[in-house]
Amino acid sequence: MAAKRLQRLDISDELKERLARQGLTTCAVLQDVLAKSPLELMKLSGRSGLTVHDLVHRCCLSQAVKPVTALHLLKSRERGGTFFATSLPDLDKVLHGGIPTATMTEIAGPAGCGKTQFSMTLSVLATLPVEDGGLGGGVVYIDTEGAFSAKRLLEIAQTRLPQQFQDDSSLKELASQVHIVSVQSCKNLMNRLQSIEEDLIQKKIKLMVLDSVASLVRKEYSNVQGGMMRRTDFLASEAALLKYIAETFSIPVIVTNQITTRYGQRAPVSSPHTPDDGDGSVEVDGEGSYLTAALGNTWSHSVNTRLILQYLAGDRRQILVAKSPVAPFTCFDFIITKKGVEQDVQGQGHYKGTDPGKQAIQGRAGLSVGSTQW
Amino acid sequence: MACVSASVAHSQRELLTFPLAPAIRAKLSSAGFLTVADLNNVKPSQLSKEAGIALEDALEVVKIISGEGKTPMPSQSALELLEQEQNLPSIVTFCAKLDGVLGGGVTLRQVTEICGAPGVGKTQMCIQLAVDASIPEELGGAGGEAVYIDTEGSFIVERVADIAMATADHCHRMAASADDVDIGNYTMETILAGIHYFRCHDHIELLATIHLLTTFVQKHPKVRVIVVDSIAFPFRHNFDDLSMRTRLLTSMAQSCIQLATNFDLAVSVCAWEMMMMTIMMMILTSMAQSCIQLATNFDLAVVLTNQMTTRFTLGSNGSQLMPALGESWGHACTVRLILFWENSQRHAMLYKSPSHRETTVLYQITTGGIRDVISRKTCSDHEPQEADGTESAVTKRPRLA
Repeated sequence: MAAKRLQRLDISDELKERLARQGLTTCAVLQDVLAKSPLELMKLSGRSGLTVHDLVHRCCLSQAVKPVTALHLLKSRERGGTFFATSLPDLDKVLHGGIPTATMTEIAGPAGCGKTQFSMTLSVLATLPVEDGGLGGGVVYIDTEGAFSAKRLLEIAQTRLPQQFQDDSSLKELASQVHIVSVQSCKNLMNRLQSIEEDLIQKKIKLMVLDSVASLVRKEYSNVQGGMMRRTDFLASEAALLKYIAETFSIPVIVTNQITTRYGQRAPVSSPHTPDDGDGSVEVDGEGSYLTAALGNTWSHSVNTRLILQYLAGDRRQILVAKSPVAPFTCFDFIITKKGVEQDVQGQGHYKGTDPGKQAIQGRAGLSVGSTQW
Repeated sequence: MACVSASVAHSQRELLTFPLAPAIRAKLSSAGFLTVADLNNVKPSQLSKEAGIALEDALEVVKIISGEGKTPMPSQSALELLEQEQNLPSIVTFCAKLDGVLGGGVTLRQVTEICGAPGVGKTQMCIQLAVDASIPEELGGAGGEAVYIDTEGSFIVERVADIAMATADHCHRMAASADDVDIGNYTMETILAGIHYFRCHDHIELLATIHLLTTFVQKHPKVRVIVVDSIAFPFRHNFDDLSMRTRLLTSMAQSCIQLATNFDLAVSVCAWEMMMMTIMMMILTSMAQSCIQLATNFDLAVVLTNQMTTRFTLGSNGSQLMPALGESWGHACTVRLILFWENSQRHAMLYKSPSHRETTVLYQITTGGIRDVISRKTCSDHEPQEADGTESAVTKRPRLA
């Protein structure tokens, strides 16, 4: 992804030197060259239009991307390993096999709904051999909230697959394959992601989880002095980096996101299984406000797949496919057990979807005062 | 303006207007070579002696001057243009209403921009168009190949295969009802073999790839559509490079003022962001020009997708969604289509077009791709579908238990 340096281009040394004197040897040099008008380049290099045209052409050749036909892509993916089964059977069916590798999938939801549980379940599944539906490799779990529990990870593994994890050694092996990376700041995160390739290759990582992408940025970027614009920029470069990692290593990258309250508007469409006012809006949190996925509109564009977890009436929880290049708007009930996240037998269906950045999310109902004994 | 013949005008042209190296230009003018006429019948060796420049430079000068001396393109009458336009096929979207609004489909020789909120179907539309470029000429299609430049990573080839299969089926059904149409070798595989996929990770790769598309299209003359999904993505992140930062910050302040007026920027936006926008706009303009040239020179359609950005407006409470990349970008495309959500339905609005007026239509996304919305009830207060998922067969839905 780093731009090539002018030094490595096939042009005359004299020209290179001349351009270097003008300051054009830095890493982003090809961008500098391509961003300038031909007239400016002529002034900088002291050369004619023909040479400049040739220079630009060579820059492009070195940076351009090689194409492949879609048929070739299909054939190479038919050999498998392109979808990561989540073990929720109907969700996998709708997603064409599971979470697609080489893309970024987001799991958004209110606090305590099951995002970290889902991430941990997927981590266990990823370490299983391919024959058993796993990815047969290690997991990098980037933890920003300190929510990861190794004990819970092992409990999920043992309860889900008692035969495979009968003895301690297999549990130890599982634990050694999940690598936890703890980051406390945005800069720290970016640095870590830039240098993570070594780990990915050496430890044969097949899944990367970032739990959560929202907590760090919401701490550091506030709404003052153009902070929102900087936040958007940071998220966009983070998304680009994560997607690059996903594609280069053909692994799924899963990020978790929090929720935010939208004020002053009604939810665009009612969630399934909730009573609505008849005009399609729901009063979830008081006067005309509702909960949606955090981090804004640009981030909604950046993720390839968005799964939303939400609460339903009672103790029930639901997962919505809010954005997917392959699946329609579907929803499934799930429960959290010792085995991790499991699909509930009832409650599959479609729902009226909308812009995934505006999809209303139902939060947890509070405790009703008056009916409980204190 | 006085009417002069092309060749006379050319010989009067000043040498200063040619793309010569600055030092050479200076030497030529001090040696008395001011117009093209002065260089008539002057050999490179002569020029080199008189102007005091190297032989190679003299040769280059002669090449540049003679190279640019082509006669200007003859103008076309509107009738010729009309005939040309009518003979060009369009690329359909398979949503009849939308095709109607666009005048038959996405037109060749034009740059069309599709902007929309996330999840509304821009990528699905792009995939549909890339597949539809291959519809055989016997059925009124463009019968060609497609270039798909992906910057988002949402191109899931299995989905493309689904849409290609549905399109091939549809075409075969149409051919079966017509007598003398044989499209035996039009299959999902041949469609996919004609989609050339480029994955660009940042704006440099995107810029370089678009620059070189001219060569690619010359080598693959069957390409009829170029899709870029999306053009906004690579520009949303920072261009953080310290040396470039310092270099830019020392350049003219004039562009700041220009930007402030073009982009309606508030004064509090810091200078760095403004500089970034300059670079961004320069790169975008360069890409827009390449796209327009590709479209007109090679008779193909260029489709770009753009994101929506939130613009916080003072006065009205809340924010508005606008096409990203600023006001100036709006001028770059010939046709602009905006996809948006309303009442949980997908709408497409023709926002800018030289020949058709602004209209909004409904569309939907099915397992087979983009389709019309089939309205069942004309006046009804309730949404046509039931909450438990029993919808009509046209909506996008796999077989669930």
